[in-house]
Amino acid sequence: MKVFAVARTAQAASDAARQRALDALHTALPRVGVLDRGVYACDLRGTRRLLGAPLEVARRIVALCERAGATCAIGVGPGTFVARVLADQTPLGETRELAMDARAFLAPLPVATLPLDPRIVDELALMGIRDVAGFAALDRGSVLDRLGRAAAAAHALASGMDDLPVHGVPPRRRIRAGRRFDDAIGSKEQLVFALRVLADTVADRLRADGLAALRLVLHAEREDAPALRLERVLLPPAAEPAALVRSLRWALDELPHRSFVSAGTPGDRHALGRIEAAAIEAVEVEPLRGRQLGLFAPDGAHAEEAIAVAQHLRGRLGAGAVLRARVQSPDARLPEREVEWTEVVA
Amino acid sequence: MGSVATVAALDGAIARVERRYGSRALARGASFERRSDEGVLRTGTAFDRIAGGVPTGAPCAFVGTGACGKLALALRAVAAAQRDGAHVMWVDPTASLDAVAASHAGVDLDRLLVVRTRRREDALTSAAAALRSGGFRLVALDTGPGLLASSVRADDVAPLVPLVRGSAAALVVVTDQAPRRLALLTFRFERVAWERELGRTTGWTFRVAGARGAEALFHARSYPRTLLDLGVRGELLEASA
Repeated sequence: MKVFAVARTAQAASDAARQRALDALHTALPRVGVLDRGVYACDLRGTRRLLGAPLEVARRIVALCERAGATCAIGVGPGTFVARVLADQTPLGETRELAMDARAFLAPLPVATLPLDPRIVDELALMGIRDVAGFAALDRGSVLDRLGRAAAAAHALASGMDDLPVHGVPPRRRIRAGRRFDDAIGSKEQLVFALRVLADTVADRLRADGLAALRLVLHAEREDAPALRLERVLLPPAAEPAALVRSLRWALDELPHRSFVSAGTPGDRHALGRIEAAAIEAVEVEPLRGRQLGLFAPDGAHAEEAIAVAQHLRGRLGAGAVLRARVQSPDARLPEREVEWTEVVA
Repeated sequence: MGSVATVAALDGAIARVERRYGSRALARGASFERRSDEGVLRTGTAFDRIAGGVPTGAPCAFVGTGACGKLALALRAVAAAQRDGAHVMWVDPTASLDAVAASHAGVDLDRLLVVRTRRREDALTSAAAALRSGGFRLVALDTGPGLLASSVRADDVAPLVPLVRGSAAALVVVTDQAPRRLALLTFRFERVAWERELGRTTGWTFRVAGARGAEALFHARSYPRTLLDLGVRGELLEASA
């Protein structure tokens, strides 16, 4: 038996609340997909013996979302479209299961309920068709010929033929490593040393899942200042501990420029503060793609580091600072024609 | 084998580091052992015989007035560093690097990153980033004539010293004036004679003083751009005798 549940959060809900709702669904159900912003579809086929009746499952999910700080409404039906329409009609914090045939449920609803182009809705209104039942009564071949493929798909939904599958999204993994220090750390070098150990742990977890970090966050609790949060984007995404530490080190190097704490030179203990605890978290990950690093060159792997340094310096010093020379014409009469200088990173 | 007290003190220190930074903070040194020939960059000239080569894991300075051959030998060191496919950074605040001369010295320009920035802080930051990354076998900092107050001076590289110590990279400071406050391994370059043809200067002979008074002699020619290795002075005297 086909059973689908669609959960929707409030339209005004924040992205964080929506993410919490999705995390709650992931913890409770085997396959969860995203239909729209804040609208999630769950495939409940074959879960009755394990999880219980669908409506009971839906109630548990609503309670779970409430505990996570996100309010949602859930509709349960034989297809994702019907379940979504039902969820839209259900007040937040409640659940509803379709008690009749899907076609009969949809029949009295306005035709705009279907996923149709507004122009087609207007065209149907001119033809006197204002509800789903009227649209379902049309011949599907004629609908396809006159209104196109999308309208024919909507016609199938109106006829109760809802075969849209749920494309599951993998649950968000929290890859994080943290440490609290007995004695607060007061210098950047010491902090980087401590981060190296944490980066090893994060890199191990990333590699175990075949992932690479795209966005990395450093959380630091400070004795004498508000907590510090530094976020870095790693391009290309990396799972090597050296790349993670290098990115965080550069973030720390730039700290006095964007920190609201007292001014100081890079590495100054006043700028960094006294760190009591630090944690590294990979907040966005991507599948780890293999990169061939100089198969026959012994220092090929170091080329990656060199290019990363060039990118960093290009960003810091601006255009025209990090260059590579190419001899154009060694016998040219004018020195400026001998050599062409080009940017290492465009 | 250390005494019992020494071993206990060492164990205590290790325990303190692991308590503070985690159990993986320390690793046995045996896994990081290097081959003996990894510690130097051999230029393939008489300079290797007086100094053993350009050391890695320690900073050194090539000191001498203008047109005394320090750049020519520094470029040889760059070429030596690139021999295994490594990258080299040349920090060039005065924008004076002659790429054609570098090419003639055997430098692979594709693996030479040149950083041209006038600010002293930016030059030092660039060198520091390169040394920290581990992606460069050699970082050369050409301070130029040092005529302006804002010029980089040999003493300014003090923050780079801890970064290069113990690393696999070499730091070569090419400068006109020897450091006054900083203890660097210094090689002094001195021009011995000019070579003139048809009333024009076409080259010069210079010497490099290493430890224990040994001197290597070179002859640099402008056209064609060549560096002739004349050998070590002591050996030359023995040969002439």
